[in-house]
Amino acid sequence: MLRRLLFAVILIVGCRPSDRPTVRQSDRIVSLLPSFTEILFAIGAGDRVVGRTTWCDYPPAALDVPSVGDGMPPSIEAVAARKPDLVVLYNSGPNVTAAQQLERIGIRTVLLDMNRLEDLGPATRTLGRLTGHEQQGESLATAMDSLLHHPPPTSTALHTLAFIVWDNPPIIIGAGSYLSQLATLAGARNLFDDIAAPSAQVSLETIAARNPRWIAVLSDSATPPAFARRREWRAVPAVRDGRFLLLQGSLFGRPGPRSAEAVRQLKALLAR
Amino acid sequence: MKWALLFIVAGLALVASVLVGPAGLQSDIVWNLRAPRAVLAFLVGGSLGAAGASLQALVRNPLADPFLLGLSGGAGLGAVLAIALHLPGPWALPIAAFIGALAALVLVYRLGRIGGDVLDPRILLLGGVAVGAFAAAITTAIVSLADAAELRNAFLWLWGGLSSASWDAVVLISVYIPIPLLVLLGASRPLDLLALGEEPARYLGADVEVVKRRVYIAASLLTAAAVAVSGVIGFVGLIVPHLARSTWGHRHRALIPAAFIGGGALLAIADTLARTVVAPRELPVGVVTALIGVPVFALLLRRWTVA
Repeated sequence: MLRRLLFAVILIVGCRPSDRPTVRQSDRIVSLLPSFTEILFAIGAGDRVVGRTTWCDYPPAALDVPSVGDGMPPSIEAVAARKPDLVVLYNSGPNVTAAQQLERIGIRTVLLDMNRLEDLGPATRTLGRLTGHEQQGESLATAMDSLLHHPPPTSTALHTLAFIVWDNPPIIIGAGSYLSQLATLAGARNLFDDIAAPSAQVSLETIAARNPRWIAVLSDSATPPAFARRREWRAVPAVRDGRFLLLQGSLFGRPGPRSAEAVRQLKALLAR
Repeated sequence: MKWALLFIVAGLALVASVLVGPAGLQSDIVWNLRAPRAVLAFLVGGSLGAAGASLQALVRNPLADPFLLGLSGGAGLGAVLAIALHLPGPWALPIAAFIGALAALVLVYRLGRIGGDVLDPRILLLGGVAVGAFAAAITTAIVSLADAAELRNAFLWLWGGLSSASWDAVVLISVYIPIPLLVLLGASRPLDLLALGEEPARYLGADVEVVKRRVYIAASLLTAAAVAVSGVIGFVGLIVPHLARSTWGHRHRALIPAAFIGGGALLAIADTLARTVVAPRELPVGVVTALIGVPVFALLLRRWTVA
């Protein structure tokens, strides 16, 4: 009985509509992740995008597409109102539920992983196939895959850094995030790459003891973050000495076609 | 004897929390991060313990907890507003949380006196729960409607932690808490009488209305300061008073200091574990206080009901 149940579960999971190979081209696409929006525009399918999230701010042409909200979780009605024939979602728990609801009202969905840089190639090929831009998809995917095979520059003085996502409690980026990979590709080392998760809460004294040369934060402002002025953070030498890498949110806040550009910018910041 | 034991446990907890940590014994880290954090944990835990002990006597309900009276909801709303409005400055968040807690205090106090000039503990309790739920609803609405992704992190802050400990915070708290603490100690005799009921307490010479007001405000001020520097740390203010009562009895002159020292020791130990057991990662300290406190509490309950 149990085995039969298990088999049924595998069957159901294995036959999720979103996994079905497809040949039908989509003309009206709602993209629910900035990375997907960037990829769709980069492969020349931007004119098919009829809905985006409030976070999708690149390329500038994407801002002309109506927004369907912040997508966390997606508003089914707002998405359906765009009358899409395909909705592209990031593969996460709440989005799986949203995809099931969309399928129930006859809208095709696809759930794609987008956590690490190696997810870029497969996602781009899938989106190329779904929009009939297979060639552009393939060449962009190849370019992005090659980013990974690019050997990191050999530097005599290896830069060390810690990405600080939040200051109280301190949350850092671990090895599971593409940001850690961007650091490696730029010739730096994320001092918290011993933590497998994409992000984790750590104690301030661990950050101080590991003593990164740089503190990296996603920030669109030109001044160091507010926590730099808090007394307890001054126990971290990089904070005390103002060694911040202020990374532009739209470029570094997501993996995407511009990740190579992100690596170049990070390299330039480190070389200062 | 039991006092000596309590002081030894508290002393050991403080020493351990200064000496033990993922970073070893680098003087800069020990002095600037770990020592203030240990002292702050002790003071916050102590405040919650003392506030819990007095509130349980005030509302004559063993389930009373410093956060039951709506202060956590008010503080959370203040913190989220500080982030949503981009209030500048490194101290914006704790100050906003403190003001939010004070606003909840005033509101609940007004509700508690709704039936006239008499502060009704039952209405105080209900009012606290209502104000807390209302503030939490507004907080959640702001977080889910606002655009800033960082607002979600406000909840992380609210779940409690001592990451923001510094000597500045320790000095501030050490100056602040003796005043409400002395008020509570001063009310310890009338609090003993209050356990008999308000009428008997009045016959025995207690100025019941004044005592209720003082105790409510002093305990709330202690809690508001605790929540401003460390978020909502659960179970300390609920469990420590019961543990202290099982050893020191119902005399508040002994119970309140014992709950203060016991609460301080418990939070110092819990925070040390939070920093070290999953190092380099860190657990939210409220998780650890619950993991230690609840089994101890269950054992005690069993002993009481069996006896």
